[in-house]
Amino acid sequence: MSTETVSGALKRARNGVGVSGSGRAPGGTKKRGKAVKFTGTFLAFALPSVVLLLLLNFYPVIYAGWQSLHFGDLVNAGPFVWFQNYASVLTSAQFWTAALFTLVFTVVGVFGSWAVGLGLALLLRTRIPLNGMWKVLLLLPWVVPTVVSATSWNWLVATPQSPLPVLAHALGFGNVLFLADPTLARVTVCIFKVWISFPFMMMMMSSALASVDTNVYEASRVDGANAWQTFTRITLPMVSRTTYVSWILMTIFCVNDFPTIFLLTAGGPSNATQTLVVQAYSSVFQNNQVGPGVATAFLMTIVLVIVSVVLYRQIQKVNIE
Amino acid sequence: MTAETANIRLAGVPTKRRRLGEQGERGKWWRLLAIFVITLIMIIPIIAVFVLSVTPSQNSTATGFTLENFAHVFTQTEVVYWLENSLLIAAVTVVVCIIVASPAGYVLSRGRNKWVSSYALILFVVQSLPVVTAVIPLFILFSNLGLVDNLGGVMIIYVGATMSVAIWMMAAYFDSIPISLEEAAWIDGASVFGSFSRVVLRNSLPGILSTAIFAFLLAWNEYLVALVFLRSDVNYTLTVGLNTFFQQNAADWGSVMAVSVVMMAPPIIIFSVLNKYFSVGGIGGSLAGR
Amino acid sequence: MTQQSGAAFTRRAFIGAAGGIAATTLLAACTRTGGSTGGGNASGGVLKFWNMPWGTPAFLTEDKKIIAGFKKGGFTASYQQIQWANFTTQFATGASSNTGPAVSSGGGTTSVLYAHDGKIQYMDDLINGAWTTNGLKDDFLPGMLDALKTTEGTTGVPYNLDVRPAWYNKKLFTQYGLQIPTTWDEYKTVCATLKTKGIYGFGVGSGAGNNIGFHAITGFMINNGGGWFDSNQKPAADTAANEEALDFVLELVRQGYSDPASSTYTNQNVYTQWQNHKIAYGIDTAGMAANVTGAVSSEVAVADPLTSPSGNKGFLYFPNPMMMWNNTPSKTANQDLITYYYQNMAPLWTQKTGIGLPPLKSIANDPTVSGDPNNQKIIQDWVTPGIFKTWGAPGNSGVFFNVANTVDGTQPTYTFAQQVLTPSNRQTAKQMLTAFQTTLEGLMK
Repeated sequence: MSTETVSGALKRARNGVGVSGSGRAPGGTKKRGKAVKFTGTFLAFALPSVVLLLLLNFYPVIYAGWQSLHFGDLVNAGPFVWFQNYASVLTSAQFWTAALFTLVFTVVGVFGSWAVGLGLALLLRTRIPLNGMWKVLLLLPWVVPTVVSATSWNWLVATPQSPLPVLAHALGFGNVLFLADPTLARVTVCIFKVWISFPFMMMMMSSALASVDTNVYEASRVDGANAWQTFTRITLPMVSRTTYVSWILMTIFCVNDFPTIFLLTAGGPSNATQTLVVQAYSSVFQNNQVGPGVATAFLMTIVLVIVSVVLYRQIQKVNIE
Repeated sequence: MTAETANIRLAGVPTKRRRLGEQGERGKWWRLLAIFVITLIMIIPIIAVFVLSVTPSQNSTATGFTLENFAHVFTQTEVVYWLENSLLIAAVTVVVCIIVASPAGYVLSRGRNKWVSSYALILFVVQSLPVVTAVIPLFILFSNLGLVDNLGGVMIIYVGATMSVAIWMMAAYFDSIPISLEEAAWIDGASVFGSFSRVVLRNSLPGILSTAIFAFLLAWNEYLVALVFLRSDVNYTLTVGLNTFFQQNAADWGSVMAVSVVMMAPPIIIFSVLNKYFSVGGIGGSLAGR
Repeated sequence: MTQQSGAAFTRRAFIGAAGGIAATTLLAACTRTGGSTGGGNASGGVLKFWNMPWGTPAFLTEDKKIIAGFKKGGFTASYQQIQWANFTTQFATGASSNTGPAVSSGGGTTSVLYAHDGKIQYMDDLINGAWTTNGLKDDFLPGMLDALKTTEGTTGVPYNLDVRPAWYNKKLFTQYGLQIPTTWDEYKTVCATLKTKGIYGFGVGSGAGNNIGFHAITGFMINNGGGWFDSNQKPAADTAANEEALDFVLELVRQGYSDPASSTYTNQNVYTQWQNHKIAYGIDTAGMAANVTGAVSSEVAVADPLTSPSGNKGFLYFPNPMMMWNNTPSKTANQDLITYYYQNMAPLWTQKTGIGLPPLKSIANDPTVSGDPNNQKIIQDWVTPGIFKTWGAPGNSGVFFNVANTVDGTQPTYTFAQQVLTPSNRQTAKQMLTAFQTTLEGLMK
């Protein structure tokens, strides 16, 4: 196997992941009988998840949809107002500011955590003393409850006497306001998100890399590819499906991430770090504006679904090639 | 099953390790330095938590290193109950989640038709809805079912909340398992279920572990649902218990940090124990042995 | 069955079920233990009592003790702590599924909010009946019983007074030869002197979860005879009195008398800056001395109320309510419980559990309460002269439904305070107030 050519390895790599793991439906080309059996078993396989899905989501979605068409509070539905809540949300400048920052926050969150996570996964894949210990330590940001890590980060950056501003001052950057300056607050929140999320990416990419056949690297090295070529032409295509899946998942996590922002800046200063989910929460639970708040959440979900469908198509393409 | 799988894999490991090792022997110490610096930077905020947990709290007479914050939370609060509840909820969530998600993930991985694709998409749409909009209707629903202030109610919600992602994660991992293994089993007369449980699952330990960790951490760190659904203080989870130390405009930081350390301990222990299974090679190793 | 034993049963059932994780066992265990959430009928039962952690952990211990002692007409009471984080969610879910409390405390506007939804049992009968006879009515500090009264009735009675007095650091003031300011001009001079020492004279914050920034700004408006609402309970942000007050606050900020990072300071950040001797004067709660650590705790003291150029005094406070809910096994028992509670709640103050100031004269005059110099100062120089006004100022003495929708902890109030506290923001007071008036009108219901 080690004498295999790079082109062969690449072909397999493009097919998805690892050793020809293409995940095609076996039923189609096999015997008919097997296909029928597949349908039955597959239905049985999916059934528990379908039941849970209906039980936990059907009523809340209908209920929330109903709320979004009314102008009431948390207890009473209030008058039916058709799509007025959606109209008022869509015409408010605050919604669009929040939407824009949600986009930035998500893009940085997804790609930032992916890059860091993949980098660490690649590093930890090589031979390093105490390999396991580093891995466990690096999973910690994900383990700490957000209320605590937000406190920790606040302690790191909030006041001019905090460690990071003191460091910045010592390095000659002057009085750096990590949270009080709108632009820097955005940057800080994004970095905080990357810090919380990279362990998930590291874990996803580690398990994907673990399933990559190392023989492929041998072949590539024999063929004289340098490290960067090996990375872009072999490693990345081989983990492409996991990459897409983790991008999609992280997109959902970022867009829906309420505690990170709420606990660190609560959307401030002056709405600079306001995301849509924080805005939805504030509207519903702080401003007592239930209809507009739920409408915001629904609008956010619609966009999220569209974005992820595009990414999802990408996954299917990866499989079909 | 676990032990056997590990054995198969381990057989393939030494060769692989050696090859990677040769390639990077020279850079080993540089990499160690790099990982040390990166890890240190990454966990500074967490080191702060540990330091604060052994620092005397504001109304204390103690100086220097002290364990009085831990003594306080263990004697004055229900933290043992919270720990038990959190462990129980997380454990049940993980097990049920894997039981529900693996077969469904298999369908997503191996089934390629309109229905399966739509199902994958529906899972996704559902996952996209923010939980803040669902809390109140779910509460009304569950209070009618008698599932309020009941660990079971929270477990059901957590399984539901982790399920979509878990299915996707399992599907992504199953994709990396060559179908030729199952085909061989079918030729030997195995049923679809048989080949799934005996061939596919057995080779999916890293994927199952990743998914389990995801589900565990979600259940472990979730706050809003636990807060709203669990009412009596002996039923709290650690996240809810942690927040009892926050007063209106102040907080009992010593206790907060002590409980945070208590909260971090089980995941650290679990990760450390499971760690050797992460580093076991993937499917490549098991193929090499055949 | 009480809530506690029900919960213990749930635990045992689950530990038993955990061995065999069969979903059926789990669900059976769930349904078997469901519904043990209190209840009863007219002849007896358990009343659910909800309270927030108003003070240190000692508060919870004392409070539970008080509730455990209630027994009248076959009724007892069960205790549940409601955490501050997301407390609105807890009340909303309780009220909308009828699993809420029979008697509870709440945030400053909880009683008027839920009275609007028809969930609150009005208290007028009780106050004019039993409380007049037993002397409780006369025991309330002046004006208290009107603070939570709407046109429909009395939605609740003040339970603790969450006040916003001014604090200063005695040690730093002595060190730099400063006098406690009594007018806005004197205050400005003090700030200018402090600035030369690298210390801030306007110490507040408006970061995540910290609404004292907005409270302080509102306080200065009330100080100048302004506030957010006219006598028709309509927003009146854009007034001359408010503009003058906001100009003053903006001057403090833009002269560098407040920390440029303060717009995102949490409560803890502000306390840290007091501890670092970076703040020597500021607005905070009555409990600030207990919230700052170390030596600073004994250095801080309550300052004098300031007189504005218009000759007015005034600041903001929150009469946090205790209320009765309609969802109860017995309305009479509700009245018994709240009466019992008010007659027996003194230890919450005498044991120094960190709760805000007491609403009752008998407790306020207790030596353990008035013996504290800061408490004494607040009661003598701030509460008794009627310095403190509610959110309803200047047009109203109490709070009402729309206060909850507009200014009480809503997101636009944080934004407004953050804009005010950002020195680089160049908007004029007039511009900001005009914009905020529009925002408030949009939040009205």
